[in-house]
Amino acid sequence: MRNKPKPTTKDLQALGRPFTIFMIGVGVVLLVLEFILHRHGEIAAEDFPLFPAIFGFAAFLFIVQVGKWLRMMIMRKEDYYDD
Amino acid sequence: MTEQVVSFAISSWPPGLVMILAAFAVPWIPHVARQLWMLGAIALSVWGLISTGAGVHVVWQVMGLDLVLYRADNLTFPFALVFHIAAALNVIYSWHDRKWSEHMASLSYAGAAIAAVHAGDLITLFIWWEATAVTSVFLILAAGTQRAQSAAMRYLLFQVLSGVLLLAGAAVIASHSGSITFAQMQFGGPDNVGIWLIFIAFGIKAAFPFLNGWLQDAYPEATATGTVALSAFTTKLAIYALARGFAGTDMLIWIGAAMTALPVFFAVIENDLRRVLAFSLNNQLGFMVVAVGIGTELALNGAVAHAFVHIIYKALLFMSMGAVLHQVGTIKASALGGLYRQMPFTMVCCIIGAMSISAFPLFSGFVAKSLTMSALGDTGLVWVYLVLLFASAGVLEHSGIKIPYFAFFAHESKHETGEAPIGMRVAMGIAAVLCIGIGIFPAPLYAILPYAVDYHPYDASHVTGQLQLLIFAMLAFIFLIRMKLYPPEIPSVVLNSDWFYRRLAPMVGRPVLGLVMRVWNVTVNMITWYRDMAWTAVERMMHAPISGPTIPGRAVMVQALLLALLLLLGYLLVG
Repeated sequence: MRNKPKPTTKDLQALGRPFTIFMIGVGVVLLVLEFILHRHGEIAAEDFPLFPAIFGFAAFLFIVQVGKWLRMMIMRKEDYYDD
Repeated sequence: MTEQVVSFAISSWPPGLVMILAAFAVPWIPHVARQLWMLGAIALSVWGLISTGAGVHVVWQVMGLDLVLYRADNLTFPFALVFHIAAALNVIYSWHDRKWSEHMASLSYAGAAIAAVHAGDLITLFIWWEATAVTSVFLILAAGTQRAQSAAMRYLLFQVLSGVLLLAGAAVIASHSGSITFAQMQFGGPDNVGIWLIFIAFGIKAAFPFLNGWLQDAYPEATATGTVALSAFTTKLAIYALARGFAGTDMLIWIGAAMTALPVFFAVIENDLRRVLAFSLNNQLGFMVVAVGIGTELALNGAVAHAFVHIIYKALLFMSMGAVLHQVGTIKASALGGLYRQMPFTMVCCIIGAMSISAFPLFSGFVAKSLTMSALGDTGLVWVYLVLLFASAGVLEHSGIKIPYFAFFAHESKHETGEAPIGMRVAMGIAAVLCIGIGIFPAPLYAILPYAVDYHPYDASHVTGQLQLLIFAMLAFIFLIRMKLYPPEIPSVVLNSDWFYRRLAPMVGRPVLGLVMRVWNVTVNMITWYRDMAWTAVERMMHAPISGPTIPGRAVMVQALLLALLLLLGYLLVG
């Protein structure tokens, strides 16, 4: 007999999809607004269409990727400092 | 009449001092009444602060030096105010704690930090600077674990070192100019050494790169309530000191930029969620240091506003994680998850703190960080601007997403628990309301900044630009999670700059020390050998002289030798 999924697991599965759809929806609205509003940034590069969106997305992936590399170099067992 | 007397007494005390004095009574007051007593002391201190206003109020003349115990102006007020708010939040947050020791430490620590802000000279600053170190270390020791004890000692070492450097710097400056006034300092003068000493002293407390090990090392080892107190004062006192002494120092822009970017990578892979927040704290200090380095009116307003809102939302985040630690007994991401069901209120507060620190529009971080970013945009330092923009995405990653996600969602909860004690919830609630309140109505915050503000964070460009950055960074997170590419939580430690003195120094130091000890032992052995040889020779001469009788005692022998030596000397001199 298979274990029934616990309520939290069900919740998380039920929450995940709508949340993803909601976030994509907000993203789409922002994309549309980008071409309706006249947005200007603090520096010239920021005035490039969708600059913050692309920068934010890329920066996030970069941070996580560097984190993965960093793990190989400076991650130690939990008791590393406990002699 | 009575009111006059009281207000006279208060105005002759620097704010915060009343809290330190009140802390001495804390052990003798029973629980609950004690919390009210502490809130009363904080209220009295606030009243003194507001009723006296700007100006130089208390000066003591000691050994020909002017000790300015109480100087208030536009720069001190916002720091003093938010320190009082943080102190009050601490009292409410730790309402459930029946032991007096931590209450005494945290009240006197807050008092010392507030008094330090009002120090008008370097010696007074030094005294309170060290007082914050000595009082706060008890918050780490109170955790009672071996790890906490060791971390507390390392913490104290760095804090006291910072104080000693400050005092040394003050001495150098005083010897050159005869003045110990704490004001804007310039590198390159005859007292350059002193200025550098003070700069490094401030740098240690502000957690500059490579001087920051103590922060991520010690803060997460303190008690659930202690870390909340620690997060507010020491580092922001350093930001105040930098703003007072080193505004417009170019070097700070580069130091600050490094501070914003580097901790981001460490925070991604750290498993201890309070340590993630400590990295995040370091990153936030970077924004303030950059703003101080720019040094324009807009930038300094940005630094102060950021410090103000940061203290509140950082306390909120540490409070929510403290609540989890208090309820569950661990704060390791790998052991948490799914707590939204058991601790919904804490979850909501945590998310409000997370959105504030990530600078979502309508939250307090947005109205403060925008000032710094605009000031930075004006300087034309494009690369620094991009680094800070990058770091903003980093803040979202570790404080905005990682903290709430891994504590409250992620996967099935492994713990049977409930909501945190009522005091914790009330404190979190107040902090959350402040985060949103300041975000929606920034005018009162802008009104207390050092310079007049004509700034409107809520224009279409700012709001849509910031939302694009944040929403698309969140979409990147969702993408990584859905594709199962996000690195899993692993029970581990992440090496940081404290590794240099916790591991490298012993690794290099032990062999060197071993060598020194060997050389020492060999030398001592050799000397012993020569001495024994000489002794044996004397012994032999006593019992078997070349001619004449045997000599009965060693003393006679030594005298005979000395006389012979004198005789020889005499011959040499005459000859």
